[in-house]
Amino acid sequence: MNKNEILLSIEDLSIGFSKGGKMNTVLDHISLEVKKGEILGIVGESGSGKTMTALAVMGLLPESAKILSGGIDFLGNELLTMGEKEHRRLRGKEISMVFQENMSSFNPLLTIGAQVEEMLRLHSKYTKEEYKALTIKALREVGLSKPHEIYHQYPHQLSGGMRQRAMIAMAMVAGPKLVIADEPTTALDPTIQSKILQLLKKMNDKYGMSIILISHDLRVIQSICSRTIVMKDGRIVESGMTNELFTNPCNQYTKELVAAVPMLNKEYKNTYKVDRDSHPILTIQNLNVFYSEKAIGLLGKKSRKQVIRDISILVNEGETLGIVGESGSGKSTLAKAIVGLNKEIEGVIKINDFTAISNDGSVSKPQMVFQDPYGSLNPSKKIGWILEEPLKLQSNLGKKERVARVNEMIEQVGMTTKYLERYPFQLSGGQRQRVAIAVALIVNPKLVILDEPVSSLDTTIQAQILEMLKELQRKYKLTYVFISHDLNVIYQICNRVCVINQGEIVEMKEA
Amino acid sequence: MKLKVKTCHFNYILGLLITSLVLLMVLIGFFYTPYDPNEMNVALKNNPPTLAHLLGTDNFGRDILSRVMKGAGTTYIIAVVVVIIGGTLGTIVGTLTGYFGGWFDEVVMRLNDVLTSFPSILLALVFVSVFGPGTYNIIIALGIIFVPSYARVVRSEFIVLKERDFVKNAKLMGAGSFRIMFIHILPNTRRVLIPALLIGFNNAVLAEAGLSYLSLGVQPPQASLGRMLSEAQSYMIDSPWYAIAPGLMIILTILGFSLISGGMENE
Repeated sequence: MNKNEILLSIEDLSIGFSKGGKMNTVLDHISLEVKKGEILGIVGESGSGKTMTALAVMGLLPESAKILSGGIDFLGNELLTMGEKEHRRLRGKEISMVFQENMSSFNPLLTIGAQVEEMLRLHSKYTKEEYKALTIKALREVGLSKPHEIYHQYPHQLSGGMRQRAMIAMAMVAGPKLVIADEPTTALDPTIQSKILQLLKKMNDKYGMSIILISHDLRVIQSICSRTIVMKDGRIVESGMTNELFTNPCNQYTKELVAAVPMLNKEYKNTYKVDRDSHPILTIQNLNVFYSEKAIGLLGKKSRKQVIRDISILVNEGETLGIVGESGSGKSTLAKAIVGLNKEIEGVIKINDFTAISNDGSVSKPQMVFQDPYGSLNPSKKIGWILEEPLKLQSNLGKKERVARVNEMIEQVGMTTKYLERYPFQLSGGQRQRVAIAVALIVNPKLVILDEPVSSLDTTIQAQILEMLKELQRKYKLTYVFISHDLNVIYQICNRVCVINQGEIVEMKEA
Repeated sequence: MKLKVKTCHFNYILGLLITSLVLLMVLIGFFYTPYDPNEMNVALKNNPPTLAHLLGTDNFGRDILSRVMKGAGTTYIIAVVVVIIGGTLGTIVGTLTGYFGGWFDEVVMRLNDVLTSFPSILLALVFVSVFGPGTYNIIIALGIIFVPSYARVVRSEFIVLKERDFVKNAKLMGAGSFRIMFIHILPNTRRVLIPALLIGFNNAVLAEAGLSYLSLGVQPPQASLGRMLSEAQSYMIDSPWYAIAPGLMIILTILGFSLISGGMENE
């Protein structure tokens, strides 16, 4: 390899945090190179050290981080020993970054134009008019159709996709040689995701800057990266050309990762057969759901916004109905209406749940699993308490029977009773979602609504949770209404799919 | 950043140390004082600190150390009861307004605003001038005056927490409003409520001292920190030890609790 081709090289880098006298290593002897003009992918689960690598290059490591060994060379400059002042000159002009959370990465009180322009002002000298012209050119370049308008708008006035484009404009405007994109598409809808990735690729083709793309999603990495590095627990476990790596993985972990990618593949399909002559368990007829906007002032008039328009759905016992749609399409509103959390509805929601009679003879209501398992579990209660609560409220089991049921349920979702003494924050995301599912199932419901239950999880964990859901369905003859924006996930678990857009059903068919 | 974490920790420990020292002194004072705090002795009038009287004696020849121990106890009991009254009522008001919202919230919070818009000591003065001075009256007055601050803290936490998914989950399970409010949500407010209670204790100590200083609270010969300061005023120049002892006690109390609550908020 020609030495001039290399833009950035990290050699033997180790970083750790000391915690209570013990060194907690987050990066363990990492070495990698980025060539001029290439797109390098870094893939790994959360906590694998992807973001820490990016922060080390940007010189934005937390002060409590200790560099244990190694160095980072950028065009002959040693970044780790460089002073803050010199580093600041490099940042933005030579190396820039695109973050995941674009809402919090923009200053909410400044216009988009002012913030993109700021990047230019810090690194070059032009007249006021030239600054504006260059900024608008950059905004047009990233595919924002009305750059003059957007220049004067505030971050909250743009959609997530538009903000991410503006963020890319900000990263590109000073003409950097290296752009680090940390999960740039994770917070976006799939259709917008691919557009943003294409935009990054286009910028790379046109200006020849190198890109480090960090993601936990293999499909994102696969779509534009030429070379890929797989990280786990702060180590590089495998690296190579993207195509080779994914068709022929050598490392055990890479194999698992590749296997967990939900491909449109027959063997992953839900094989659970629905009984031909099963009865409808959920009937929705001409449902309209409204959302009343907050009244302004004490005597202000309430206004109503219609979120769901005239939807009719029939869900048969034992089947899994997928509901797909982009954010804002009304999926979650529909879910809340079914379980009765939304009171402003017109139309019929009928639940024929007569078979769901639990041990003591009481009829249980449909249950729901929420997207964010951290939000759906009470942070101040132990797991055992959280699991027991629905039994206290919905059954007349005695204390002993309740505890027995809790112990049984926690094992059903693949955990052990020792977790009952822990608080939600002591569990990982996947474990929390298992608990959330256990909470829903503990009262023996027949119908379970799952609202994006795996969207906030890593790919490997996603596959495990989906597998568990299928198993539980077989065991307890459950009916699922499964909401997701991710078609691959839907395909893996659903028998029938219903596509929703702007509160209306646009398509309904077998998966 | 590292340094900041360390100083936080240091402050917290310092606060615990000061507070436990002060509390220990007060606790002992409930059962044992070197002398009877109200026993007068003309022969020992305004004596500076000696081995027999570690903090000196006052204008009636009473032992100041004994009076500070006993007096701080009185002040603390008043402050604790005030915080219990204000904290309980405030938590209930904040819980109901924050959870239900709507016109109920609107009306109660405007009442709250009215109460907050007057300086608390002025309201206490008005209350005492209507119902007369005395320990019980200032406890009730201060307790009511403290309600809005807790109501506000708890309400703002509830407004955020009630939108969380775990509350929706509880509703789905069929939990009633009161169970959701007090069993599901309320424990989650302790992160802000406990520091607020500690700060409230401080404010109550200061308010008691202020009112007793104005002779509206604890009546002589009973000792309280404010009462002692007021009595010491005339002897500031000749016998400064008389004023220093209760003053220092107030300062240490406030400092200790502030450091602890500051440390808790930063956790």
